[in-house]
Amino acid sequence: MKQSLFLRSSMKKTKAKKAAPLIQTIDLSKSYFNEELETSVLYDINLTIEEGEFVSIMGPSGSGKSTLMHILGFLDQPTNGKYLFRGEETRSMTDDELAAIRATRVSFVFQAFNLLPRTTVLENVILPLLYHPSIPTKERTERAMHAIESVGLQDRAYFHTNQLSGGQQQRVAIARSLVTEPDVIFADEPTGNLDSASGTQVMEVLQGLHRQGGRTIILVTHEEDMAAHARRIIHLLDGRVSSDTTKFKQVYATPHNKLKK
Amino acid sequence: MRIADITHTASKSLTGNRNRSLLTMLGVIIGVASVVLMTSVGASIESLILGQISSIGAKSVVVFPGQVEGAQGVVQAGYDSLTFDDVDAIKNLSTVTNVAPGIMLPVDYATYGREKTEPRVIGTVPDYFKNREVTVAQGRLLDESDITAVRNVVLLGSEIADNLFGAQNPIGERVKLGTRSYQVIGVLESVGTQFFQNADEMVFIPLSTARAQSSQKYANMITMQTSVDFGFAQKDIETLLRKRHGINNPLGDPDKDDFIVRTAAQANDILGSVSLGLTLFITTIAGISLVVGGIGIMNIMLVSVTERTREIGLRKALGARRKDIMLQFLAEAVALTMLAGIIGVVCGFGLSVFIASVVSKFLDTYQFALSLPAMFLALGMALAVGLGFGMYPARKAALLPPISALRYE
Repeated sequence: MKQSLFLRSSMKKTKAKKAAPLIQTIDLSKSYFNEELETSVLYDINLTIEEGEFVSIMGPSGSGKSTLMHILGFLDQPTNGKYLFRGEETRSMTDDELAAIRATRVSFVFQAFNLLPRTTVLENVILPLLYHPSIPTKERTERAMHAIESVGLQDRAYFHTNQLSGGQQQRVAIARSLVTEPDVIFADEPTGNLDSASGTQVMEVLQGLHRQGGRTIILVTHEEDMAAHARRIIHLLDGRVSSDTTKFKQVYATPHNKLKK
Repeated sequence: MRIADITHTASKSLTGNRNRSLLTMLGVIIGVASVVLMTSVGASIESLILGQISSIGAKSVVVFPGQVEGAQGVVQAGYDSLTFDDVDAIKNLSTVTNVAPGIMLPVDYATYGREKTEPRVIGTVPDYFKNREVTVAQGRLLDESDITAVRNVVLLGSEIADNLFGAQNPIGERVKLGTRSYQVIGVLESVGTQFFQNADEMVFIPLSTARAQSSQKYANMITMQTSVDFGFAQKDIETLLRKRHGINNPLGDPDKDDFIVRTAAQANDILGSVSLGLTLFITTIAGISLVVGGIGIMNIMLVSVTERTREIGLRKALGARRKDIMLQFLAEAVALTMLAGIIGVVCGFGLSVFIASVVSKFLDTYQFALSLPAMFLALGMALAVGLGFGMYPARKAALLPPISALRYE
């Protein structure tokens, strides 16, 4: 059963006959222990996210939204409750198994971009593929170039990342998150370090990935207007889900919006 | 991660911080260079000593008075056991030729005018010089007529001649040994150490003259050559002397004898083991500096791990396993030390050549020598230092939890 986690093709087949949801949490909670002191961050989170959704997780700082994202992204583990990924329990996984899931199933776009300095765009985008030793070198470059094209930076592929604007750097990070063909992309305040024009551009790219590419995207933000780009918004408050709404009206990031600012 | 990716990543990280990489390597460079330099100097000194002693040849045999403790133990001085009757008896043996006894005179100073030096004064016969393969640089050797006429003549070792006369020609001048005056008939070529003694600090007078001036009835050494295998000659001499000295020693226990039979080859072995000890000592000291260099590497690697916490976190978020991170940092440490090792070998080599060229200006017999095993040893030690001291920082990096790494400012 564990084997199936690493085989995408077999996954796709099971999806056809009423598959388990992509992400499901059951009474998931998280506490930190500092000396004797227990600090609870998340309480009894019950969430289901299906493949192909674009979800915003919203909340003020301290609401636990980043912690939730870290757990859903396999960067951290819950204290109690269950986290099922495609129906599979993930709590008893070893460090290497979690690393393998991070390498193949999920990817991240961070607020601070987290690109390697003094390194070209292409090398940054290839970076996740270094942890897929079975992919031949030539295919790596092809896949990376393809990902760079999909964020519209093909003419910057051999630039060093520090020669790019903030918006361009975040698009490089998005290309990096695409190159492994993950099941879900986590974007943690992706526009937090950007001016609104670049921010809109980044949202445009993410929306495009969702609408045209059918990708599952989970956006973590505290900004109402950024969250509005998603179809479904989950509000967190003090470590609990306070609301979970799916709207019919979704804000689209367009060049028109960009000009308004 | 593939090997090619690991090396590429390591080289990129090292060249990205070139100054720091160089400073980090400095400790190991100095360590490796000093191992190479020290062993090279050691090898030069060894060949300096052994090169000269081996010029005597393996046929040269010497009988000393004294006793051996253990296999190659201490020669106990002050033994009066070899009489001149013993010398005559040895002369009758068929296995040895050129039997030449020598006695040492207790003379404190040799003086010429105001110049003064401390020689070892030896009374001997002409065959002695054949046995030691010594020739004159100026003048002549002692000859039979000096012995029969009991002449007050002296032959100077090169250092003694240099100390007393400098650039002046000593031949025909008169030198005082203690209170008596001797005429200089010759100066020997420099030969260096023979049988543990520096022959250049010796002066030689006729055996008859020496015996006439001192009450000494015993020989301090008997030199000779053997035409047959050393073992046979040794047995002959031992049997003869034990019989003459009334020693019952059928098992050949050297502790019971009051004399020692040695060849130049044996003396070489002893000196060789002394020089090996010296080399080990020097290498140990140089090895300590390598370890210090290794600690420097560990230090900088730890700083680097802290500095790159975010990068490590990112790599983990992208799917790097602990092993991948560990290998990446270990590869950096090993690459640093190996590069430092190679630079160190080149520097050490260059320094040894330089030192050899300087020293050989003052000491013609000093020659550049290089110990190839020591070079590989130094490189191997550098590699071990990289692996050993890189392990801790690499492990530390590998065990960083991915989120705390990402959050690190």
